[in-house]
Amino acid sequence: MMLLLNALYNNVFYFASVVLFVIGFYTMLVRSNLIKKLIGLNIMETGVFLLFVSLGYVEGGMPPIVDHANDVVYVNPLPTALILTGIVVAVSVTAFSLALCVKLYRYYGTLDADEIMQLRSAPK
Amino acid sequence: MSSLLDTFGVLSVFFWNAPVLVVLVLWITACLTALLPSKGTWLPGGFALAAHFLALILTGYLAWAVLSYGEIRYALGGWLAPWGIEFLVTRLSVFMLITIFSVSTLIVIYSLADLPHDIETHLLGGYYTLYLLLVGSLAGLCVTNDLFNMFVLMEVAAIGACGIIAVKGGPECTEASLKYMILSCLGTAGILLATALLYKLTGHLNIDYIAAGMGTAVVRYPINSMVALALFSVGFIVKAALFPLHVWLPDAHSSAPSPSSAVLSGLVIKVYAVLYLRILVHVYTPAVFKIVPVNELILILASISIIVGSLYAMAQTDIKRMLAYSSIAQIGYVFLGIGLMHPTGLTGGLLHIFNHAMMKSMLFLSAGAVIYCTGIRSIKDMKGIGLQMPLAMSAFTVGAMAMVGIPATNGFISKLYLAMGTLEAGRPVYLGVILMSSLLNGIYYLPIAIGAFFGQQDPESWPANRGDCKRLPLSMALPLIILAVGCLFFGIFPRHMLVLIEGTVATIFP
Repeated sequence: MMLLLNALYNNVFYFASVVLFVIGFYTMLVRSNLIKKLIGLNIMETGVFLLFVSLGYVEGGMPPIVDHANDVVYVNPLPTALILTGIVVAVSVTAFSLALCVKLYRYYGTLDADEIMQLRSAPK
Repeated sequence: MSSLLDTFGVLSVFFWNAPVLVVLVLWITACLTALLPSKGTWLPGGFALAAHFLALILTGYLAWAVLSYGEIRYALGGWLAPWGIEFLVTRLSVFMLITIFSVSTLIVIYSLADLPHDIETHLLGGYYTLYLLLVGSLAGLCVTNDLFNMFVLMEVAAIGACGIIAVKGGPECTEASLKYMILSCLGTAGILLATALLYKLTGHLNIDYIAAGMGTAVVRYPINSMVALALFSVGFIVKAALFPLHVWLPDAHSSAPSPSSAVLSGLVIKVYAVLYLRILVHVYTPAVFKIVPVNELILILASISIIVGSLYAMAQTDIKRMLAYSSIAQIGYVFLGIGLMHPTGLTGGLLHIFNHAMMKSMLFLSAGAVIYCTGIRSIKDMKGIGLQMPLAMSAFTVGAMAMVGIPATNGFISKLYLAMGTLEAGRPVYLGVILMSSLLNGIYYLPIAIGAFFGQQDPESWPANRGDCKRLPLSMALPLIILAVGCLFFGIFPRHMLVLIEGTVATIFP
């Protein structure tokens, strides 16, 4: 038990991001409301971003601004820079999907995936 | 004299940066196309066509350079490999670039006449913007050697692909597009998580550097590396629409405008299959299959995909929906070639990427030509239509024969290689799958072709009287002719494409 707790403590970012990923995944698959699906998608991506950013963190590390001192430990700036790109990508994907949701609402008058399925199969 | 030298200078810069320009030419044109006034109908298409011709020239140069001097490494912005993004042009990339640009150019020529009839005129500029973004990112996916770059390009491709489905408007397209977007994001999120895990294990994002570190990583951290492999598999299988995760494909590919269907079915799903192959053989070496038999899993999924896709296709009444289900079956062949992990089988699988890109685009375009001229979408209304539209239905017939794999068409060559691969790998069961699927293909493709020329037309189903059939414009007829001739040419002289593929296969199985 102690061993498990210790492992959990040492890999807290890892566990947090996996938990976020699974929460998002679950929301996306189970909820029938399209907006909730998209929120789930965002939670999922946030989980991945958290994992990525935490990879760059170094215990006691300084911001990576070089000032010619030799014995300084720096954090790894690369993952942070990558995730900046990742966030931009996630925002554009979400914006595009929300635009599609608006159009769907105009066509069907509902945002519930199950109701849309019923409306599609009913008239014919 | 000096101006001549200047010209050479500009040209040499152009070709020196060819690996990145092949992507940027399309993306820059995409941005310019978005700025065009929304009045002219031919201008955005002309821009797209010009960009494609430039990209074809660059691809030709890259093919020549790779075949004569070996692979090209290009550091973006001069930042060298472990930290910067690296583009790597191999024979496999050249093969994919040739496939993408030759088919895509023909689709653009076709769309010049077809699109104004299918979508509203003021949306044309936006359509070509999205189309060029999509094709540019597909080209980028074939040359990139960096996993994070791959993720970004995949998301750009997803937005482009969903955009050219949704552009038509109407509830079906919008719903199909949203479904595709959500499932595709699920796939890319999985791939990004896998990338993060590999970065944690090896400290690199460049595929070559990850590969160097994976040998020890797999032994020391087996759970992490296997979870990453599982996430990669799920992500790429969603994106390539292999059997259990194919649910988005039929709606998306059948409701889109015909040129979009052609590019989505012909090119987009193939690129993800090739990326999966790269992950399997370059990041994880084939040695990993001894720990986790992923290739067995791929073989089983591919076989189910081949059979189930064909069975679903037989049940369809809408021609484009039938072609979409047939794509699920055909992507199964590509994965079958990957899963066999045998030189001959892989050659067949890769060759099928090129062949299927040609024949499936041709089938979608000829179905689109029928819809353009007569408005008929239902398969049972297509009886006797070959007499009104001899060219479109001849192209359809060539495509149908290539799908079945009749000798002298290109489909025969790739199926022959796949069949020999199953025997050489000692897996005769999968030969049965290939034969059975050819039979099923024959059952649902050939009756349409035969019915179109020899069937008795039902006067009730014809929309108006027979004179109502529009003439097929030259710009729509030309791509069909070129693709049909190509299908026959590469069925009789497959050597040209095989040179590139055998070079690739030789590097994977030394």
